[in-house]
Amino acid sequence: MGDTLYLYSAILLLALCVVICRTGYMVFGHYFPLPPKLRSALRYAPLAALVAIIVPDVLPWTQQAGPQFDLKFVATGVSLLVFLATRNG
Amino acid sequence: MLDLLTTPTSLSSLREQKRAAFLLGLRAIAPGLVALTIWGIVTGVAMSRSGLTDQTAAAMSLLVYAGSAQLTALPLMAAGAPLWLIFAAGIIVNLRFVIFGAALHPYFKDLSWRKRLVMGYLAVDIAFVAFMPRFHDAPRKGTLEQHWFFLGAVIPSWFLWQITSLIGISLGAVVPDSWSLDFAATLALLALMLPLANTRPIILSVLAAAVMAWVAQTLPLRLGLLAAVVVGILVGMWAETKQNPRGRA
Repeated sequence: MGDTLYLYSAILLLALCVVICRTGYMVFGHYFPLPPKLRSALRYAPLAALVAIIVPDVLPWTQQAGPQFDLKFVATGVSLLVFLATRNG
Repeated sequence: MLDLLTTPTSLSSLREQKRAAFLLGLRAIAPGLVALTIWGIVTGVAMSRSGLTDQTAAAMSLLVYAGSAQLTALPLMAAGAPLWLIFAAGIIVNLRFVIFGAALHPYFKDLSWRKRLVMGYLAVDIAFVAFMPRFHDAPRKGTLEQHWFFLGAVIPSWFLWQITSLIGISLGAVVPDSWSLDFAATLALLALMLPLANTRPIILSVLAAAVMAWVAQTLPLRLGLLAAVVVGILVGMWAETKQNPRGRA
């Protein structure tokens, strides 16, 4: 992993993300009524982002070798079934 | 308890009310604390497995305090992705907190901005899930009971998260490389998102985003992530209008 400055910059930026998203509405909510349309659109962003992180890790492909199936794919499939069966987050 | 409530103006009974509300909040969040424990350990292990030093991992846990954002950022940081992309990914993963904040705001709007800052920062998912169903129909919003219930939910969560993350960080340094525990983070993300995918528009949105993310994964700068989010939002909203033809949920 990269040098210390890079890591701390990334950590501070992430902390800033959290502060903006979690406290923004609490602190400045008086001034920004959220339009219902925007509110419903935002609902889909987090899960879409999560799945977009997961998929390339589980099922990678390259132009040279095509799709790669390995143990990660099997492990994810099994986990998915276990999670769904137990409905345990 | 009852005789204390009959003299609500006295200082000791005020303290008693706060304590009772705090304990109610703690009790409401108790089931979530089990999940939080596992999640904290997994996040700690993932931080240490992806090459963070103990110091940077602890700093990340203390400052960021957001499991999903941390797990999202780790692969990006490991790949040396540009900082703006890490910031953008962090914002996207944390967008749900904007919704939470909008929902919680009426209960805290009369507090000082400093208190609102702290309360907002501590408002993690499980606290929101414990708080909203209980006070959704409350005739008065912003009572002492609500504030202390909230504190009873978020303060233990913060401590438990930091402790379990530290345990995970030290475990990550001990287990051998060959276990490839960084993959645990991917599985933990899966475990986090599955219970949230509970309506048809959200499931369709997730499936569309997954397909887009798979197709677009070779794009540079993880632009496939951005494409997947855009597709996910569009498909989700489309599915919503299909489900409710009059446009109202």
